[in-house]
Amino acid sequence: MSDAPEMAQSVRSRGLWRDGWRLLVFSGKRLIALFLTVLVGVYLTIFIANMGGQVDELRLVQIRGVVSEAVRADPAFQDMTAQERNELIERQISLEVERLNLDQPFILRSFDYLYRAMMLDLGRAEQMHSDAGSRQVYDIIVERLPATLLLFGTANLLVFLVSVWAALHLSRRYGSLLDRSVVALAPTSAAPAWFYGMFLILLFAFVLPALPSGGMVTAPPPENRLDYLASVLRHITLPLVAMFISSIFISIYSWRTFFLIHSSEDYVEMARAKGLPDHLIRRRYILRPTLSPIVTSFLLMLIGLWGGAIILEQIFNWPGLGTLIFQAIGHRDTPVIIGTVVIFAYLLAVTVFLLDILYGILDPRVRIEGGR
Amino acid sequence: MRRYTGLLLPLLLVAALLVIAGLLAGGRGGHTVIVDRGTPATEQDLRERRGPLVDEVVFTQQQDAGQVVGLIERGSHQVFAQGINRPALFQRLRDSAATAYDLSYGTSVELTFNPSGPEFSDGRLNPFAVPAMREAINWLINRRHIAEEIYGGLAVPRYLPLNTAFPDYARLAEMARELELLYGHDPARAREAIRREMQNLGAEWVHGRWMYNGQPVSLTLLIRNDDERRRVGDYLANLLEGEGFRIERLYRTAEEASRIWIVGDPAGGRWHIYTGAWISTLIQRDQAENFSFYYTPRGRAEPLWQAYQPDPDFDAVADRLQRREYSDWEERQDLMRQALSLSMTDSARVWLVDQLNVWPRARDVTLAVDLAGGTSGSNLWPYTLGYAGRQGGRVVVGMPSLLTEPWNPVAGSNWIFDQMITRALNDPPVLPDPFTGLFLPQRIERAEVTVREDAPVIRTLDWLSLDTTEDIEVPGDTWVDWDGAEQRFLTADETAPEGLSARTRVRVYYEPDYLERRWHDGSPMSMVDVVLPWIMLFERANPDSPLFDVAHVPAFEAFQRHFRGWRIVSESPLVLEIYSDQIHPDAEAIVANRVPGVTAWHVLALGILAEREGSLAFSSNKADRMRTDWLSLVSGPSLPVLERQLHRASEIEYLPYAETLAHFTDSGEIVARYRSLADWYAARRHFYVGSGPFFLQSVHPVEGSAVLRRFPEFPDPSDKWLRFAEPEIPELTLDGPVVVTHGETATFLLEITLDGKPYPEQAIQDVQYLLFDGDNRVALRGGAQYQGEGRWLIRMDEEAFANLPMGANSLEVAVTSDRVALPAFASHAFATVAGSAPPEPIEVTP
Repeated sequence: MSDAPEMAQSVRSRGLWRDGWRLLVFSGKRLIALFLTVLVGVYLTIFIANMGGQVDELRLVQIRGVVSEAVRADPAFQDMTAQERNELIERQISLEVERLNLDQPFILRSFDYLYRAMMLDLGRAEQMHSDAGSRQVYDIIVERLPATLLLFGTANLLVFLVSVWAALHLSRRYGSLLDRSVVALAPTSAAPAWFYGMFLILLFAFVLPALPSGGMVTAPPPENRLDYLASVLRHITLPLVAMFISSIFISIYSWRTFFLIHSSEDYVEMARAKGLPDHLIRRRYILRPTLSPIVTSFLLMLIGLWGGAIILEQIFNWPGLGTLIFQAIGHRDTPVIIGTVVIFAYLLAVTVFLLDILYGILDPRVRIEGGR
Repeated sequence: MRRYTGLLLPLLLVAALLVIAGLLAGGRGGHTVIVDRGTPATEQDLRERRGPLVDEVVFTQQQDAGQVVGLIERGSHQVFAQGINRPALFQRLRDSAATAYDLSYGTSVELTFNPSGPEFSDGRLNPFAVPAMREAINWLINRRHIAEEIYGGLAVPRYLPLNTAFPDYARLAEMARELELLYGHDPARAREAIRREMQNLGAEWVHGRWMYNGQPVSLTLLIRNDDERRRVGDYLANLLEGEGFRIERLYRTAEEASRIWIVGDPAGGRWHIYTGAWISTLIQRDQAENFSFYYTPRGRAEPLWQAYQPDPDFDAVADRLQRREYSDWEERQDLMRQALSLSMTDSARVWLVDQLNVWPRARDVTLAVDLAGGTSGSNLWPYTLGYAGRQGGRVVVGMPSLLTEPWNPVAGSNWIFDQMITRALNDPPVLPDPFTGLFLPQRIERAEVTVREDAPVIRTLDWLSLDTTEDIEVPGDTWVDWDGAEQRFLTADETAPEGLSARTRVRVYYEPDYLERRWHDGSPMSMVDVVLPWIMLFERANPDSPLFDVAHVPAFEAFQRHFRGWRIVSESPLVLEIYSDQIHPDAEAIVANRVPGVTAWHVLALGILAEREGSLAFSSNKADRMRTDWLSLVSGPSLPVLERQLHRASEIEYLPYAETLAHFTDSGEIVARYRSLADWYAARRHFYVGSGPFFLQSVHPVEGSAVLRRFPEFPDPSDKWLRFAEPEIPELTLDGPVVVTHGETATFLLEITLDGKPYPEQAIQDVQYLLFDGDNRVALRGGAQYQGEGRWLIRMDEEAFANLPMGANSLEVAVTSDRVALPAFASHAFATVAGSAPPEPIEVTP
């Protein structure tokens, strides 16, 4: 009889080891799968961004055009014979080709890009600079990140929190005038934020000149920090409102539908029948079981901030990552394009992995295959 | 009410945000921006004030041209350094009471023809291999329609390979007018020529369609789809369809199109006509090279150019013009006339319009805008920017981008918007006239240009002299090369003991106090600021030097081909002699391209130390090769490196190339220089030290703005360049009889004015008239006589009309001025009748 607790402990211990091993195996498999997904995603980006190598040809033509016109426009070269001038042009072109490694086949360069991207060695941009003048892709991206996080973080957090909160209320007032109003307004989200942005600029920057039409801060930026903050707040208002208007109704509508489904589950009806107070039903019977999708949505929203929005930033002249990506595509600056994609890919992979773990913690029904 | 909290909350949040923002805006006096326009000033005030007219210029990024009018009206911006070519935007700009604008003419639109053939490699017909077919397109198209309808008035018709706003066009105005009338819109003539040539090529006209070898003749138009050229392409396509061709329209972006028309094999037949465009950001005073570039294989090495087969006479004339193989100016002009005529017969390119760029500004703001480069290309903007009749204040300038690439004076950013800003921070020895392209003295008193007798050079302005001589010998003590190992200049005696000669000698007399000025950081200037940049020119091409930059070598080799020496005649006052084999047709341009300026040597020294250490590089190419940062004096990772170098340089009292430069300075100057620079950096957090009318107060790279402030120690009065704030384009009124009877004389009166006042006679270069008959053939040409008060008279005796047929004729007048490259034209239509016939009412062309 005295062996029984020891045996029970031994069984528990073996169970823990087994669960730990299964968790390890699961984690390993998920990490490998996610790594392969990132690998394929990044390589596809490299391949597509370079149009399978065809961009090389475009760049060569572009280099040739730029060099030829520069030489032609320079008075120092004007008395050269045509042959001398063409030789000079060819030398200048070969220097630029060498600098950009365009003398190497694209397929070799693509694997080099891939290797460095997977090692998170973002390297040097080929054409672009950070605003401050650095050619390191890391500097270029990090310089623009705060502006994007500020605008998109604020807007998305606002939309997320307000819509979840409002949706919970509406789910309990299904069919009310308010509920029908939100449903009716949901299609307004078909228009993107920049669309509303244009109207807001017209209205608040020009018709009623109350707010600036673009930029992140006045020029020149105020030296006092409080003034600087106030200036940023004035500049962020219109893009923020544009993003809010364009997303809020569809977001409330979609969460409200989600909560509505969960609100009509049998166990919720049972809780209501038992006469439990509303806030308890909300917290324990609706929010708790729906926590996983809410957290998933929240985390995916957070990493989605990274990319910014190209057109919105252009419209509001906001110095964020969206504008940067737009410029990088325009310059065909592969390292910058890859840099932004690889960081997003890794963030996404890490988030997905974390969510896999979080699901197990948040929802007792989720178990590793074979687990108890 | 609680039921509605779900909806109210977001609405309240939005409202709260707007209220907060409104309050913040209210705290700054609403958002109706209060513009600091300075104080009223008399002409005397401006003469007494030193440096620029305004106290501060703020550059800020503004990419959306659509907001320009609103921003100026609101007062948040006063100038935009971005040319506008959208007609709708131009209308708004024109209609606004708060805005004004300037015009520039740097962009030209044309049709490029594929000259391969007449059959492509797959047997398809390319009728445009035949010059006469290309020539016929001149008559087919209506350039006025393109300029006024497609470009909404933001273009002027162009027929010739000469920009209509540049001096060569003005100098050849009478020839240009003749050709323009000859090649004007004439669809009947075009049809006749097309039908004749198509039949000669073996094509058949079947049921209103051209057939070749049993197949319809199909033409591929490569149409640029990223600007108004899309509509130009469609317009041409419709015209050609009307002439019986089947048209395939390929709409492509610049990049997509360039793969087809520039690098593709023309014989492959992927295109017949391309809608091309060319940009010039500065006034080209010598466009003689255009004929070789646009019409002959010498233009470029790409397959399209190699497919050109110009007429041998045209080729020879174009070649002579490119090589400047003429003995005097008259011979050059004769060659130009021949080339113009032959280029129209060749018509490998058919020129359509010169596009106008509109440069917006507030109505009360003045500045000199370049006729080719506009506001962003203007060299005189820092000297002329201000509020009319006022001094001081602040101007906010919007531009699409700034700080695009690192700024440094050796091989820094050459982006047009970056250069617009840095131009204000420096003060070059000469500045170009924004309306003629001729160089004017800024920091030099005078110059003497001597050329060999065989060099065709002309002088226009009187601040320099021009002499010719049989031979120009380079004196033995002239610096002709640099010895990197010994760090000293080599003289002509050492490198060429047998003697050295040159085609030109320029002797430049700088202002007496040229080196007594101060840099923005307070350091006094010295000869080292003149000589160090010169040394670096050689050092950066020296493979044994740590400053060696492979990207600098091709340009240096081109420079060495014509460089013959550099000699200091006197240090105080500074007088330099420069010897060279390079010739420019304008003596002013020879001086401008030779004369050295100054660069702050103590700033360069930090860059030299950093590049030697491998932590920074002056040029982009070298930075990439060294895997380091491109040196920026104003921001980014360069600043801590330069700061470290500043400490080091101060400690060791570093003077680069001391073996040579120590002769021009002393230890006291070195210490003082670095101390001034350290103070400057501590106050402004950047290392850009210039001597221009403005200094760089602050740079905000991420926020996209830069602030320039007036340099109070700038030596010139504020009104020095104000005469260039407006282009003085002559305004013409031509009047005369509407009926001329054979056997009688006729007198026509031409009034040349500017803003209603007589145009100064001494500024008029030439007044030429052309008398055209009803078929637009030139019957007579000649000049006008000055009568005083801006009035010019054209008298024609009875013989002038003797050969004119009865009917409608016209008199065309071309006026060219010294003050602006743009010629002015006027025309007067009249009828010629027989001696006894009664006059009939004639419609006068306005």
